[in-house]
Order: sequence, then structure tokens, then C-alpha cells
Amino acid sequence: MSDPGHWFEAEPLWFKTSVFYEIHIRGFFDANGDGSGDFRGLTEKLDYLQWLGVDCIWLLPFYRSPLRDGGYDIADYFQIHPDYGVVEDVRDFIEQAHQRGIRVIADLVMNHTSSEHPWFQESRSAPDHPKRDWYVWSDTVHRYEDARIIFVDTETSNWTWDDQAGAYYWHRFFGHQPDLNFDNPEVQAAMLDVLRFWLDLGLDGVRLDAVPYLFEREGTICENLPETHAYLKRVRAEIDANYPDRLLLAEANQWPADVVDYYGDGDECQMCFHFPVMPRMFMSLRREEAKPMYEILAQTPEIPSNCQWGLFLRNHDELTLEMVTDEERDYMYSEYAKDPRMKLNVGIRRRLAPLLDNGRDEVELMHAILFSLPGSPVLYYGDEIAMGDNVYLGDRDGVRTPMQWTGDRNGGFSRADFAQLYAPPLMDPVYGYQAVNVEAQLRTPTSLLRWLRRFISLRKEHPVFGFGTFEPLEPSNPRIFAHVRRYEDDVMLCVHNLARSAQAVELDLTAFEGRHPEEIFGRSRFPAIGEWPYLLTLAPRGFYWFQLVEDEADDDG
Amino acid sequence: MADAQALVAGLPEERLQEWVLEQRWFASKAREVAHFGVLEAVTLREEAPKLVLALIEARFHTGTHELYQLPLGLRADDEAWDQRVIAEVEGWTVYDALADPAQNHELLARIGASEEVQGEHGVLHFRASEQAAARFDRTAAVRPIGVEQSNSSVVFGDQLILKVFRRLEPGVNPELELLRFLSAREFPHIAPLVGWYAYTGRLMDTTLGTLQVFLSGARDGWALCLDDLEGFLPEARALGVVTGELHTALGSDVGDPDFAPEEPSMENLSLLTATVDEEIERMFVDLDTESPALAPLAGHAQDVRERLQALSHIGTGGRLIRTHGDYHLGQTMLTDRGWVVLDFEGEPARPLPERRRKRSPLRDVAGMLRSFAYAASAAEQQRGEPAPEGWEDHARSAFLEGYFEAVDASLLPPGQDAVSKLLSVFELEKAVYELRYELNHRPDWIGIPVAGIVRLLEDA
Repeated sequence: MSDPGHWFEAEPLWFKTSVFYEIHIRGFFDANGDGSGDFRGLTEKLDYLQWLGVDCIWLLPFYRSPLRDGGYDIADYFQIHPDYGVVEDVRDFIEQAHQRGIRVIADLVMNHTSSEHPWFQESRSAPDHPKRDWYVWSDTVHRYEDARIIFVDTETSNWTWDDQAGAYYWHRFFGHQPDLNFDNPEVQAAMLDVLRFWLDLGLDGVRLDAVPYLFEREGTICENLPETHAYLKRVRAEIDANYPDRLLLAEANQWPADVVDYYGDGDECQMCFHFPVMPRMFMSLRREEAKPMYEILAQTPEIPSNCQWGLFLRNHDELTLEMVTDEERDYMYSEYAKDPRMKLNVGIRRRLAPLLDNGRDEVELMHAILFSLPGSPVLYYGDEIAMGDNVYLGDRDGVRTPMQWTGDRNGGFSRADFAQLYAPPLMDPVYGYQAVNVEAQLRTPTSLLRWLRRFISLRKEHPVFGFGTFEPLEPSNPRIFAHVRRYEDDVMLCVHNLARSAQAVELDLTAFEGRHPEEIFGRSRFPAIGEWPYLLTLAPRGFYWFQLVEDEADDDG
Repeated sequence: MADAQALVAGLPEERLQEWVLEQRWFASKAREVAHFGVLEAVTLREEAPKLVLALIEARFHTGTHELYQLPLGLRADDEAWDQRVIAEVEGWTVYDALADPAQNHELLARIGASEEVQGEHGVLHFRASEQAAARFDRTAAVRPIGVEQSNSSVVFGDQLILKVFRRLEPGVNPELELLRFLSAREFPHIAPLVGWYAYTGRLMDTTLGTLQVFLSGARDGWALCLDDLEGFLPEARALGVVTGELHTALGSDVGDPDFAPEEPSMENLSLLTATVDEEIERMFVDLDTESPALAPLAGHAQDVRERLQALSHIGTGGRLIRTHGDYHLGQTMLTDRGWVVLDFEGEPARPLPERRRKRSPLRDVAGMLRSFAYAASAAEQQRGEPAPEGWEDHARSAFLEGYFEAVDASLLPPGQDAVSKLLSVFELEKAVYELRYELNHRPDWIGIPVAGIVRLLEDA
């Protein structure tokens, strides 16, 4: 039994100061040489993740699945996909992670199953089967007509006819992913059993995939319904009662005003992703103006104090553009997806480094902004070494290629024959594994990897980034994104230059008169803040983080 | 009569804070502390003198915190108890229980009886090993001994030594883990484990203390070496043998996942090198090269980093095992049955997951070699006797000869060249760590790590 309590201090808010790292198991490391990553491989790489400073690993789905949607089509909630190992390997991995002070959360898809799941097979088999009512069946497609279609590239309706059942079944995603019927108490109970199984195994929490769609009601868009929130509160009550310090992280790709409902009154999910802030970071960078970021942050409501935003630059999906205006979307496509192959659904399927034209300053600046915002940063595997993508692979597979460990065969990912690999590693001259790999970057003191490790450890020295206020400064120079974070006695000033050119900025810091800014990377002391605007000059795409130090605190140590 | 737990809960925060800040085991600086509080107070004896085991928290201005163990004694005011007093509360004197022989015997008795005591948020587990009972003598004289960075120790009648961990971290303390492992395998060169106590609860699971056989008549390896450098040389080989046997024992059980030797992952060596390289860089950034003691290093940052790169070009680093973790002469004792190794806590300044990590045994070896360098200089500084020409080299080679003879060679990298290179990497890591420490704490000692780093450059 890998009880996380054994290796961690009780801390219900641990996630507020954690750095998350998202892993696609298939692509991380192949320990048994069959061409696909696995849990034993993941366990072997824990030392690397500990070195990097990761606090919590987020795993993409690893359950038994026909893999028609990257594992988000689950065929058995209590088994793992044979390519990844056996449940015992998961237990061992979690225990090993815990011993290194690393927590583990995993994706859990509640909304739907694979059509191959035995529950669906039984449900479709006969109208009077006890499991019939576990899914949403209908004789007509004219129900819930206000619900939008999400996968517009492949699906034409949320209803699909099933010959065997003689009825239509409801699905918000692919046709092979029938939605479970959460109006059925048995389904609600079954999903709690699933949750208990994995938490008992030691998991520190789950990312609830596709959470807005659990219930359907006529005359609504069938998203964010009160019934859904009521069920999530029930899930949270179970966690609070029996699994202290475990995390519910909601994937709700919605506007901030709707997303905050998933926090409830601090009695639903502890974390939600902040989707809309991410495209605006890219927009701000390309337009060289801070306005899009200030705007979306101003529209972001306060959240309960025991909750936290999840922030990311890129993840395993396309860079989603659902939460932007049409005009903004056109702008993003024209700037970041020049090749039509780079578009997918309503988004752009590219990794961080290619999106930023592999610019080191840009990659660093974007990480600085990400780390400075109120929320917990979620890194995506491979982005720490500036891995590229492969737009010629289908769906989102182009951003899920094998992790590049070394310059050796298969990038050190697997000892299997090349032809056996689940996907080819990148081999192009710029992003290929011979140019971009962990081993080389470990050896190079100036590498992105080594820089990011230093940055992560620096951020973790200051809980203010997890707990502190966010106070935008909005200086008159529109190219500067500057704000103050405050927690207890720690005051942090973060100033970022979005422009390609050097910039000067005057900041109104009179509230901090008498304090000394101390740059936190090199610990250099800057002139004291006086009653006049504070003048700073920043290099192109440069940034400074200052701790605003009170003088008397300096003298008695 | 006042309830002990309530009295402890009523401890004035300022008094508690004032007292804790003065303790050597308190790891942080006074100006960083925002708040002190008692998180758990388990009453071990309600009758006077009362005994309460408190877990206290120090919260810092930046929002981080640390946890400490505080065994508290409570005696009525009119007894006028005056040893290590923390506060007066409602007619009771509250004090550090480890200063009170009666209270120490109380703790010892709990261990002897393998008791379990329920607290508000968790349980205290006391455990005695099977052969231990005979050793408990209720009348033994009690004396506190040397105050350490992370713990306080008390000796009972020159028979038993109780080590109380002050700074607490979640998880099992490596000291307990390694002593249990080695005691169970009857490894002869340790002070056998007799008992321990631990806390399990909502706050955390943590080891609170260990009870070992006290080695009376033993001589501390560091003092012994300083007193008689020449006389130490014949013992250096034996110390090497014991160290080799220790590593062989620690790497002997493939069935215990916490101890089974592991093959290093392919980036293990690169991770080590990158970490040491960062430490070198940070050290040189902080260095004031105007100081004459640092002159030999001035302008050599790049040379040191290149030397590290050259040293790290070995195929594989050998196998990884649980190690001592903070190995130097001060952790050894010479007894009438030979060398004994003490203190398996690891470096107290490092977080527990790091101290529990499996590493190359050569890291311990490097620690001891650096300790010889310190001994040579300290003999001159503290005893006024310069080390004889070539002493350090002799001590090194005698120790290494004994070590390589006794250690299971399959734990080491293949080939003497790889072994020496990896050993040098660890020596460099250690010397860099020492230099940063001395710069902050003991400027007179800077010359020792500087000479160590220069030596590694010259070996190239």
C-alpha cells in the first residue's frame, strides 16, 4: 500500500505551490524494449524528474483501451493498457515517486467510456438489460438539440444509431465514446468505486477529463449543469472524508466566469485549468503588447482560498482557440499556424519551441510569465528541452512523439527496432534527437534544461507565487507586463518585456517606498524605491523578478 | 489539577519562540520566523512531574514552515526547577524534558515497554528490540552529551544512548532504517539498535528518536586522529576495511526494495555532473577572489568545470546502494573490537528524500578522504602540530587499500581508472560544498577546501 501520508507532511494545499509535469506514458521511456513507453520506464526516469524539481506528475490515461482517442476511450477502469505494464507496476511507480517527494495524479474520464467497454456491450445488448440505463439511449435524434458538437472535424451529430440496440446513443465526443448516464445512481456509485480503487493504490488525485458534460437536460446546452456540480460536490465529500490531501483537477475548457463554478465554495474541484489565458500569452508575445493578458486576468474572478488555477503553455492537446474571439482566432492562425496541417479542430497542434520559432529568449520569457502568474504551472514533457513536433502525424500525435533522452538510436527512448516504435522520434536537423536531447543539455551549462531547473528551484523558494495576490501595474509602456505578488511579508515584483526591442519603463512603486528591489536570480541589489516613478530598462524579450526587501529585515541577520 | 496538554497549549508563543530560537538545532534564522505554534501535544505522564511530547511548528514570513520535536517537562512552581526552562504557565514550570533525568527515564521506560500512546491527531509508537529488555536500568545515571545540528542525545549509565531528532521531516529517518537493516544482519561495526520511537498521524509519519548501545571507552575517530596523526596511520587501513564491509553489507540484500543495489539509469552520471557543475558555478559567483586564501582559485572557474567534465567521461558509475551519507572521521569510533560507524542520518541540511537516495558508495569514500585533509590542517590549527610530510597521502592510500580489499567490487565502476575518476568527482563535490560552508561559517578554514580543489586540478 503506497499511502502518500507516509512520505508527505499533511498539507491539503500542497498543489498551490507545486510544479506539475505532464507525461504521455507511451512516449516517455520504454523499459522492456517493445517500442512503447511503460510504467517501469517511467519509474527509471524518476531521478531525472526529481532533479528537475517536479512536484507532481500528471499522467495521461493509461487504462485498458482500444486507443482510438489516445486512451480517453476507456474499456476497463480497473486494468491498465498491456503496453504500459500491469497494475502492480503503477503501484510501484507511485511508491517510488512518493519516496522522492513527488506526487502523482492521473487522468480519469468520467463522462464516457469506449464503445468496447463491457458496460456498453451489456447496455446495447437488450432493452431490458440491467445496464441499459447506464448510457443515454433515444429513439430520436431530436433531443438535447442545443448541445454543440465538439469534434467538428469528425462528428456530425451527438447521436449515433446502434443497430444492435435499435436506438440512438448520446456522445459528446467521438462516436466510439458513448456518454455514461449520470442520472443513474448506479453509474454515480460505479464512478466513485473507480476513484476509490486508484486512490487506494496511492494516487494523489485525478484530473477529471471532460467534466462539464456529465448530465443532459432538455432546453440547455448540456454543459455546466447544476446536477454536474452536485455530483462533483459528492465526489469531493468522499475525498475529504476518506482521502485527505488528494486533488481534483477539472478540465473545463470554458470562460473563467463559468470555470469558477467548478471550485464551488471550495467544496468541488481544488484546481481548474485556466484555458483562456494561454492563447493570450502567445498573442501578447506576437503583438508585443501586454493588453490581452491584462484583460483576461481582469476578467478572471477571485477563487476560494483553498483552490488554485492550473496554468500551462502547451499540453498534449492542440493549443485550443475556443476561448478567443473570431478575430483573435484568425490572428492566432495567421501567426502560429501558417501551414494548414498545423490546425486541428479549433486549435493549433504544435509544441512550444516551434510555436516560438525556437527562440531561446522567447521560450524563457514565456516560462517567466507562466511562473509569475497566480496558479500552478504545468509543464509538458519534452518542452523543457525545446522538443519539436511532427505535423505529418495524424490528430494530436505530432506533439506526442518519443521523449529525446540521448543522441543514440531512437533518441535513447527505446531499444526496439525503429519500425517497432509507436511513433517515429523527431530526426530533423533542428529538433531531431541528435540536436535536442536530455543528455546533451545536461552537459551544457547554458542549456534550456539547466536554466529551467534553476528557475523551478527559485520559484519554489517563494511560496508567494502559489499563495500571493496578483496586482497588475499596467505601466504606460504597453509592451511591458508588470505586476506585484504579495504573500505574508514576501513581495515580488515581476517585470516582463514583450517587445523584440529594448524598452524602458517607469513603474509606480510608491506603495513600496524605502524597499530595495533585489533581483532574485543573481541577488543583485537595485537602488531603493523612492517617491518618484521607478525606472527600469529591459533587454529585448527580457524580464526581471525582484524581491522587494525591507531594509531593517536586512540588517539583523 | 491542570491538565498537562492544556498547559502546553497555553504556552505563551513569545516564550516558546524565544527559547527555540536559541537552540543550536533550530535550522533557520530568527528574522525569518513569523509564528510558532504547538501542533500536537501527547501526554506521556499526567502525574507530576508531567511529561508531554510536543510537535511544534515554526512558520516563516515567506509562508514556508518547519516542524520540531520538543519533549516538555512540567513541574510545580514551588519545586523551583531551573534547568532549560521555557516558561511558567499557571503555576507550572515548563522546561526541556531532556534536561531532567527523571523524564529521560520516563521516555526510556516507554521504549522498553513498547508502548503506544494516542494523541489528538496521531499515535506515538515506542518500540524495543527483543534482546533489549535486559539493558534497561531504571537507576542508571543520565547525562546529556554533545548538542548536534539536528538532534539531542542523552546517555544512560554508559550503557545506552538515546538520540532525539529535533527537526522533523515526513518519512522514516535513514538512521533508523540503516540501523535496523544492519542490526538485523548482525553487522558488527555499529552500535546496535535497541529501540526507537516514532509518530504516525495526520500531520505526518516521522521517526522521533533512536536508542542504541553506548560505546563506553571508545575514542572518537576525529579526536584520535588529531591527537596522534602518526598513530592513526596503522588504523587507517582497518577503517578502510570496515567501510568496505559496511558497503558490502548495505548492498547485500536484493530482496529489500529499500536497499537492493540498483543499476544507475543512463543519465545518472550526467545528473550528478550537472548538479556538481551548478554548485561550482554558484560557488565562484559568491567568491571574493581578493581574499588571499582564495587566490589559488582566482580565475580558475572554467578550469574546475572542465576538470569536472573530463572526470565524468566514464562509461558507467557502478551500482547505487544506500550509503552512510555523511561520512567523515567524526562519525567513527575506535573501540576495543575495532572501528565502529555512527550516525546514519545523512547530511542534516539536505531534505529527507535526498538523504534516502541510493548513490555510489564512492561518495562515502570521498567524504572520508576529505576528512583526512581536514585532520591534517586541524592538527596544525588546533594542536599546533603540523602534519608530517606526505601524511595525507599515506592516510589516503592506506584507507583505500583496505577499502578496495573489503568492498564488493561489483558495486564500483569497472576498472581502476573509472573508480578514481568517479571518486574525484565526489571529492570535488565535497570540497565545493565545504568551501561554501567555510566561507559562511569558518573563514579560517577556507584553505582546506581550496587546497582540495587545487589538488584535483593538479591531478589532471
